[in-house]
Amino acid sequence: MKPVDLARKLRRDAAFEPAVLGRGKDALMAAIQQEVEPRRRPTIIPQLPYADIRAALSFLERAFGFREIPASRMEGADGVIHYAIVEFGDGVIGIGTQGAHGAISPRSGGIESQYLSVAVADVEAHYQRARAAGARIAREPRGHGADVHAYEAFDPEGHRWRFVHQRLREVPQERTPA
Amino acid sequence: MSAPSDAEVIGRSLGEPEAFGLIYDRHAATVLRFLGRRAGAKVAEGLVGELFRIAFERRKTFDASRASALPWLYGIGSNLLLKHRRAEARRLRASARIAAVEAPDRRASAAALDARLLFPRVAGAIEALPGDEREALLLFAWEDLSYQSMAEALELPIGTVRSRLNRARAHLRELLEPKGKGRVRSQ
Repeated sequence: MKPVDLARKLRRDAAFEPAVLGRGKDALMAAIQQEVEPRRRPTIIPQLPYADIRAALSFLERAFGFREIPASRMEGADGVIHYAIVEFGDGVIGIGTQGAHGAISPRSGGIESQYLSVAVADVEAHYQRARAAGARIAREPRGHGADVHAYEAFDPEGHRWRFVHQRLREVPQERTPA
Repeated sequence: MSAPSDAEVIGRSLGEPEAFGLIYDRHAATVLRFLGRRAGAKVAEGLVGELFRIAFERRKTFDASRASALPWLYGIGSNLLLKHRRAEARRLRASARIAAVEAPDRRASAAALDARLLFPRVAGAIEALPGDEREALLLFAWEDLSYQSMAEALELPIGTVRSRLNRARAHLRELLEPKGKGRVRSQ
């Protein structure tokens, strides 16, 4: 038998838990996120006032798919959250206590003085998720499936959110390999 | 519409880092099996995340003329394994014992005896190879990489890969057949 064939006889696969690949992916994406973070510091950060920040964070995650940036949270010794930043794609929004910096939640003020537009890849899927989480719909989406362009919803404190179809960004030419 | 090549995905990941996740989706299972064969499940589980993090950090240096990122990932893995030589040696010895037990014993009992002696010798001979030859041999014999892929993994000209593999074969033959005795050829 040839040496390489003999060596081949000692080839033996290891047995892995099925969850290994998923954990590795999570670790990689977390590392990627860390690299992305500093470059993504946006020049404009909308600050939204809420009466109950904990409830707002929970809703924004469940219904709209935002994610809290863990290091951003400011919490008092009493466990009350005073501030946090949530992210979605390339954008971040500050979630602050109403009254601070003069900003009032629509729940207290009774009016919406602004609304936020968020670009999402799949408007229909986003709409279904928001509805399932109990979001009050302000404007129903029109069309079906991929044709759905936008819808609007209120969060529990009455901020109005508009979710619009995201046009795919083009990769800048100089970054594209030959 | 065909799927983007690895080079295209890596190129895109320069502007959109998350795109690199697709490289993981495509190759992590293969890379994990490679690391597992070499150093066992436990070490491999720890290394696979590290390997892809390193790849992510070095993605700017990926040669965009290569269609597949897999050889490049093998190369990073080979380097990482250098720190785990003891785990590799242990696994190789264990594999030799298993191979000896599982060796087909259709002929005489003499054949079984041969296997018991033979495989530990093969393991010892692989271990005794110079590091670069051993790496080339294992990428070829265990991972079934082509010369071209090995050249990409080891960052060597293809001719160097070929001669290194030939040296590994010759060395292995010497190590297995001291003084030209043909005992190993009995199969």
